[in-house]
Amino acid sequence: MSTRLTALHGNHACALAAVAAGCRFFAGYPITPSSEIAEHLSYELPKVGGTFVQMEDEIASIAAVIGASLGGLRAMTATSGPGFSLMQENIGYGAMIEAPCVVIDVMRGGPSTGMPTRPAQGDIMQARFGSHGDRPVVALAPASVQEIYTETIRAFDLAEQLRTPVTVLYDQVIAQLLESVAVPEPATIHVHERKWANGAGAAFQPYAAGEDGVPAMVRPGDGHRVHTTGLTHAESGFPTQVPPVVDRMMRRLLGKIDIHAAMLERYETLMTDDADVLVVAYGITARAARRAVMVLRAEGLRVGLFRPITLWPFPEGPLRRLAGQARAVLVPEMNAGQLVLEIQRLVAGAAPVHPLGRIDGEPIAPDQIVAAVKELAVHA
Amino acid sequence: MRPLSQDDIAPTPWPVTTGMNILVVGVGGQGVLMISKALALMAQRRGFAVKQSEVHGMAKRGGIVFSHVRFAEQVWSPTITRGEADMLVALEWAEALRWLDHLRPGRGVFIADTRQIVPPFACRSRKRGAPSGYARETPAEIVGRHADGCALDATGIATALGDSRAANTVLLGRLSAWLDYPVAEWHDVIAAIVPKGTREINRKAFDAGRGWTPPAPDADPDLVAAVPDALPDRHVGVAIEAAWCKGCGICVKLCPERCLAMDGPKAIVATPSACTGCRVCEWLCPDFAVTVRNEGVPA
Amino acid sequence: MLDVAPATPFDPKDYLRLQYMPHFMCPGCGHGIALRALLAAVHDCGIAKDDLAVVCGIGCSGRVGGYIDANTFHTTHGRPLAFATGLKLARPDLTVVVVTGDGDCLAIGGNHLIHAARRNLDLTCLMLNNEVYGMTGGQASPTTAATRLTSTTQSGAIEPTFDACALAAAAGAGFVGREVTRQAPALKTLIARALRHKGFSFVEVMSDCTEVYGRKNDLGEAPEMILSQKADMRPEQHNDAPNQPFRPNALPTGVFVERDLPEYGARLRAHAAMIRGDTAR
Ligand SMILES: Cc1ncc(C[n+]2csc(CCOP(=O)(O)OP(=O)(O)O)c2C)c(N)n1
Ligand code: SF4
Ligand SMILES: [Mg+2]
Repeated sequence: MSTRLTALHGNHACALAAVAAGCRFFAGYPITPSSEIAEHLSYELPKVGGTFVQMEDEIASIAAVIGASLGGLRAMTATSGPGFSLMQENIGYGAMIEAPCVVIDVMRGGPSTGMPTRPAQGDIMQARFGSHGDRPVVALAPASVQEIYTETIRAFDLAEQLRTPVTVLYDQVIAQLLESVAVPEPATIHVHERKWANGAGAAFQPYAAGEDGVPAMVRPGDGHRVHTTGLTHAESGFPTQVPPVVDRMMRRLLGKIDIHAAMLERYETLMTDDADVLVVAYGITARAARRAVMVLRAEGLRVGLFRPITLWPFPEGPLRRLAGQARAVLVPEMNAGQLVLEIQRLVAGAAPVHPLGRIDGEPIAPDQIVAAVKELAVHA
Repeated sequence: MRPLSQDDIAPTPWPVTTGMNILVVGVGGQGVLMISKALALMAQRRGFAVKQSEVHGMAKRGGIVFSHVRFAEQVWSPTITRGEADMLVALEWAEALRWLDHLRPGRGVFIADTRQIVPPFACRSRKRGAPSGYARETPAEIVGRHADGCALDATGIATALGDSRAANTVLLGRLSAWLDYPVAEWHDVIAAIVPKGTREINRKAFDAGRGWTPPAPDADPDLVAAVPDALPDRHVGVAIEAAWCKGCGICVKLCPERCLAMDGPKAIVATPSACTGCRVCEWLCPDFAVTVRNEGVPA
Repeated sequence: MLDVAPATPFDPKDYLRLQYMPHFMCPGCGHGIALRALLAAVHDCGIAKDDLAVVCGIGCSGRVGGYIDANTFHTTHGRPLAFATGLKLARPDLTVVVVTGDGDCLAIGGNHLIHAARRNLDLTCLMLNNEVYGMTGGQASPTTAATRLTSTTQSGAIEPTFDACALAAAAGAGFVGREVTRQAPALKTLIARALRHKGFSFVEVMSDCTEVYGRKNDLGEAPEMILSQKADMRPEQHNDAPNQPFRPNALPTGVFVERDLPEYGARLRAHAAMIRGDTAR
């Protein structure tokens, strides 16, 4: 037997997955509905020789996480909307200096303090654009406790391989939902080892990368003695403002995502082959959408579901293909309309794209999606 | 290389009816913004739409400052792109060269102070007169490459008038020779923007710039001065790495034996024999430019 | 770490990234003097360059690290102590020095300072206090003295200032000291003591910003500024015996606090061992 079935809360699954993925450092600041992740890790990490530290705020938390990552550890923090806002500057710093780390954002109702105990999906564009300037962005959106487990592990794997912060976005409902999870045997869990630099020398260029666009990382103490800065830097690691160099460095940084697009892409489809109406949903909302698709199919309507699991970069190709066959696209989400903007951009008029937003702190119910699809099917 | 002649210098004023793009550049503390303010105010008074945009982020610490002044009947873009400047006014020589490509090819007017403010990172060798990372083109070479313009020692002129800080107004005066506006209006504009106590000196500086004519060509000054002799072989000694010295004067004023002296912009060892090896200068040099050798006193 | 200075004489060139020299600081800037003192202290303590991590914030002070031939990190404004906390916890084998400014450490990063002091992780924090935001062109900082002119206090500063040392001490730092750049050899000794201290050590360096502060306040050129430090800082009040009560209205120099407190990293590791023991049982 390589797996065992356990009932876990979403946040507990996240904490255990982190440990299983080799996370050995967590820094965080309490916030509902993510605190259980910290609580579990405060106990789990010391058991495996890892470090848990409760910092003075979320800015310090992400900073400490990046510091630990620079020291060579797999590191993570977890928060919710208000804390995610505070972290943005340093997430950008992490992307700029290419420090792998994982940021869990358990989305709650917003804006501002909003509704700490109610679910939402309002941070997805913040995950995409929250930090100033252009940076590589990777964000994953699990839809079940099982997926929180697997996607947390994948977040570490991607972060380490691409040398960049990876965000995992889920909401209050699955964070605090108890579900059975097939926990794989530790030996079957594989997270790639960070590419380490070796061969110190005067000519060593810490930000020079090969074909894969990912430079090997320096472990302090290994003799390289490099400089790390959030200022735009050249291959040497030292600041530059020479336009062609800046252009080269920025394109390489952003290009890491494009080079590894195939590795990053992850989505799920349900009955999309002949779908007239394509529902695009992620996270908790995708669960309601799945139910809605079953109900509608039973009634004879040709409806399918496209569920991105990697939210950023968005699985563009598959979505475009499926939307091209559909007569209408519906995007239910627990915000005032965020992903729908991206879907409209991608579908580019091939089919009408309709939002279905909910912002009252309640999850979107299957009935609501059923009704909305019927409306579209009538008009389609 | 074409020698400068009076013809190169005498400006033909442009009848300004359609407006102009003027780029003013320099380093922090030189008064780039004063020139652009004066231009903007003048243009405004003349009924033009004016846009002025500037960068002066780290200006106060000697960083690069530049200002784009655009005026015409209608101006949309606040900045001047490469090759679109009708005039380039530079308060510092290296900045002048850095921005040359912004001048309109074949037509742009180039006006620059020949005064050099050498950034510390341009120093490459300890020998005086040795090549540095600073620009090597001579003013005559640069002016010769451009349709119209001049390079003048505005700082020297201002200093002679009593305040080196008025160098910017000297350049403004020079620039005014290319614009078809009455002198009295310029005087008004200057009076409106400079502090009250400096109106007189600024007016003088303006007039001096406006009326400037190139001096007769001199013999080249002898740039390569004698390099100080090597220190006698004593058990104490002090040496200065000229390439790293920024001339702050700390070592000169704090050496208890007064061994060191300023020589222009750099410190030198004036009386090496007086050095007792106390290391005060070494400890206090912010630039790691002073090394004291003293077998008796540990570093 | 060595308890006595090594036999080899100190040559700063051994510790500098020569290809980036001369550094970018303005003529006469006190940060350069502080940098030299730091390097001399590192030499005295016998810390190998490979084992030294210098974590800086943003500001002229934040640029100091880039010239040191070690593992150097230029982080975000106000946060170097938080980055350093993660780094030191991940890598207890490194000597982690934080170089920060008065704005970096006391304004935007004030929260991190008091918590780093409280936590007592083994970091050495060097705060270069030039009483101004040098990098951004001379705005007032939390240490700008009353009546001083800055570009945001054009008719004189009116806010009260922080005594950074009193703040760090009150927050629980195990080692707290202050020195002026004028007394560079004493500064070096102070930094070396701070480096050797187990736990959070805080050193405030009174540094001169010649370019945007000295000039604006008519404090003279670099030599005049550094000479006047003597009068301002009251060396007659030099604190040789630590743990004396703080004197108000004066900026004495010396060591104010030196106490053995449980170091956070060691505590954390002991705690982890305890948890592991519990689980095994
Ligand atoms: C979040 C953020 N806010 C503001 C700034 C702009 N900034 C850069 S340096 C600085 C002040 C630095 O002052 P100080 O820490 O005293 O250092 P000094 O330059 O005086 O050595 C500021 C406000 C920034 N980089 N980041
Ligand atoms: S601005 Fe001030 S603090 Fe910054 S380098 Fe110049 S003198 Fe030093
Ligand atoms: Mg400061």
